[in-house]
Amino acid sequence: MKNAKSLLAFGMATAMALAATGCGGSASSASSAAESTSSASQATEAESASAGSGTLNIMLETPVESLDPQLATDGTSFEVIADYTDGLMQMDADGAAVPACAESYEVSEDGTTYTFHIREDAVWSNGDPVTANDFVFAWQRAVDPANASEYSYMLSDIGQIVNAAEIIAGEKDVSELGVTAVDDKTLEVQLNVPVSYFLSLMYFPTYYPVNQAFFESCGDTFATSPETTLSNGAFVLTSYEPAATAFELVKNEDYYDADKVQLAGLNYQVIQDSQQALMSYQNGDLDTTLLNGEQVDQVKDDPEFTSVGAGYLWYISPNIKEVPELANLNLRLAMTFALDRDSICNDVLKDGCAPTYTAVPPEFAAGPDGSDFSADQTMFADACAYDPDKALEYYEAAKTELSQDTFTFDMVVDADDAPQKVAQVVKEQLETTLPGMTINLTIEPKKQRVEDMQNGNFQLGLTRWGPDYADPMTYLGMWVTDNSNNYGVWSNADYDAIIAECTTGDLCTDPEGRWSALYDAEKIVMDEAVIFPLYTQCNAEMVSSAVSGIEFHPVALNRVYKNAVKAG
Amino acid sequence: MKKYTLKRILTSLFTLLAILLVLFILMKLMPGSPFNDEKLSEEMRAALYAKYGLDQPIVVQFFKYVGGMLRGDLGVSYNISKNTPISQLIQTRLPISIRIGGMAVTLGAVVGLILGIVAALKRDTVWDTCATIISVIGVSVPSYVFALGLSYFFGFKLKWFPMLFSAKAITQSSVLPSISLSMFTMASIARFTRSEMLEVLDSDYMLLAESKGISGASLIFRHALRNALIPIITVLAPLIVDLMTGSLVVEKIFAIPGVGSLLVNAIQSNDYNVVISLSFIYSAMYIGIMLVVDILYGIIDPRIRLAKEGN
Repeated sequence: MKNAKSLLAFGMATAMALAATGCGGSASSASSAAESTSSASQATEAESASAGSGTLNIMLETPVESLDPQLATDGTSFEVIADYTDGLMQMDADGAAVPACAESYEVSEDGTTYTFHIREDAVWSNGDPVTANDFVFAWQRAVDPANASEYSYMLSDIGQIVNAAEIIAGEKDVSELGVTAVDDKTLEVQLNVPVSYFLSLMYFPTYYPVNQAFFESCGDTFATSPETTLSNGAFVLTSYEPAATAFELVKNEDYYDADKVQLAGLNYQVIQDSQQALMSYQNGDLDTTLLNGEQVDQVKDDPEFTSVGAGYLWYISPNIKEVPELANLNLRLAMTFALDRDSICNDVLKDGCAPTYTAVPPEFAAGPDGSDFSADQTMFADACAYDPDKALEYYEAAKTELSQDTFTFDMVVDADDAPQKVAQVVKEQLETTLPGMTINLTIEPKKQRVEDMQNGNFQLGLTRWGPDYADPMTYLGMWVTDNSNNYGVWSNADYDAIIAECTTGDLCTDPEGRWSALYDAEKIVMDEAVIFPLYTQCNAEMVSSAVSGIEFHPVALNRVYKNAVKAG
Repeated sequence: MKKYTLKRILTSLFTLLAILLVLFILMKLMPGSPFNDEKLSEEMRAALYAKYGLDQPIVVQFFKYVGGMLRGDLGVSYNISKNTPISQLIQTRLPISIRIGGMAVTLGAVVGLILGIVAALKRDTVWDTCATIISVIGVSVPSYVFALGLSYFFGFKLKWFPMLFSAKAITQSSVLPSISLSMFTMASIARFTRSEMLEVLDSDYMLLAESKGISGASLIFRHALRNALIPIITVLAPLIVDLMTGSLVVEKIFAIPGVGSLLVNAIQSNDYNVVISLSFIYSAMYIGIMLVVDILYGIIDPRIRLAKEGN
């Protein structure tokens, strides 16, 4: 018996030792993993072809925070809510608003009244028709102070719906919101001023409908399980629990557009470890996955690799109000000219992100003629570019004006991987190009960094902003006096006047005039170096060659699967 | 023994209350708030603080929270799963962590004991060296390295087991995480068992037992192992809680919907109630297990029971 035991122990020991050596190898085996990619995925394709499922397997980086359309705030939640909910309008592949629940709409001549006609065949998955009241109820929830909906400003400041701001502030009752159900299928919306991008707000989940009777029958449990969720969209939720790491949707056969939906369903899997995610993709368990910067190097020649614009503009905000040196325009210009954005994108991040020299990032806002607002990245080249000589000129001027030869600044940076890497390079670039300048990095958890910047407790801050809607105002609105995101507390009366004119003034009814005024505003921000734009973030993704038609967007809904097709 | 047990239980309750207070203060000292988001204006933050009662003095918040807890209400999540009651979040996740932790403890303890006994009995042979090497590796290499390595070889290369947790194949997909988690326990238990066994084997009463003619399994298990077990249980107890409550990183790697991954996400987003509730449950389990261990001592070693009863 003793012998048998020792044999067993030896067996175990060998197994453990093997496992242990295996681990030692794993760190350096990244490249071999990449080499085996093609064979692994071929094998998988064969498997999935025989299965012929047509169900898309999708990776998420973080769990869903909320499936309540009026409470959700993050991209992941928005994406999933939009899988099974249609708003009045939805996004087409190019990000333009196209009718969804609304089959048609009219806009009054003065641009302040929108009338939407809801499709007769739009139904909820419990059989109820989608009615105008579903929108009235949902929008009232969004502005109800009792709900403290974080995106209520989508209806007030951004959507300019009559009385929204007053209701949020607690000054008026929710019933006074400027939205009325004229009849079951007609919804009328009153705006304070014409809003040129109002239709594109309709695909933002905060504006999605909620069936009032169903909501009330769920009590506190609304949108926490398949039973407490109603679908009027392309898919139906079949498994889900709060903060789930895996959940599923299947095609909604009652959807009015069901003929066009080719996928049988969506399987979501939350994977927070990037190595596991890539291996699962290579194993064929996923049809699409997100990569980090290091992984891009392994797979950049793979035809399945793709880089998708994420809309986020990363920039450095100098604290103009609190730091006397940074109030000096020449010093700010010297710093922005000393930054080599190409190097940050191509040598450091390497995930396809775009060097950015404008205050509004490219590829998310199209103008009246359909062209990208920031397509021309050289339009402010005299205020923002990489030019060490020019940087030194401004630097010398600043030194004289400030009678100071050395400068030391602290820069607050998120404790995440990419921002830390970027900050290191920024520090190196500034210190090399501008002798006598020292940048100290303060690495903080993101919540702390945001709190510090909101309280003005910083000198330089590396931060980012993602667009909320497809208009340059989502960025330019930040630099007006007293805006809570104007961390550097910069203030310029001319700028404020232009923005006011474009948001609530006469330019609201003149799209071309407004568009050119927005360029004037952006020019002021750039000339004064209010921020040092760095790059526009990209998401590096793998998308299986068997899959086509996933629509990626930098605004509102990052990924739309309604028109996706999976071969096999 | 009864008096002793009662005293221990009361001390435990008091400790738990103290832990709760410390947790509360620590949470308030944590950098940032749950609502430090770049998209939130000052007014909106104030509205959210008011909604969740975070604008009240910390003392009021503390007593409200304790009051809620006594009624079984752990509060709601602010961020990671907005407005979901925490009891609901934990309800579905704790059993998964306990299941995988339980498998890891069992595996680690059994293999560790075997390795330790073999090493002690075959002292200074190749068996002993092997066992020692395995123990050293097990103790010094963090579990997430094992997790990634096992996942790569047995999940990705050999495809024996799924790389990620799946609710459809719980047993199969629990294998790799359980092994990764069990390595530390296995190694610690092996080391302790070896040294304790050696001590016992060298003792006079073992010599006596042997000279009385007791031999083989009876000698090892009834006399040597039983005496060696006490310190081992002391080591095992806290390890059990560690594993039952889930290893934070290993759960993240295998995408296990357990409490460990929940805690990691909650800490990162300053989700106060989730962090406090989970930390409190961890503490309660820890204290509970220590209590059980104390009582177990008495059962295994009559000397302890007698000594305590004498008190």
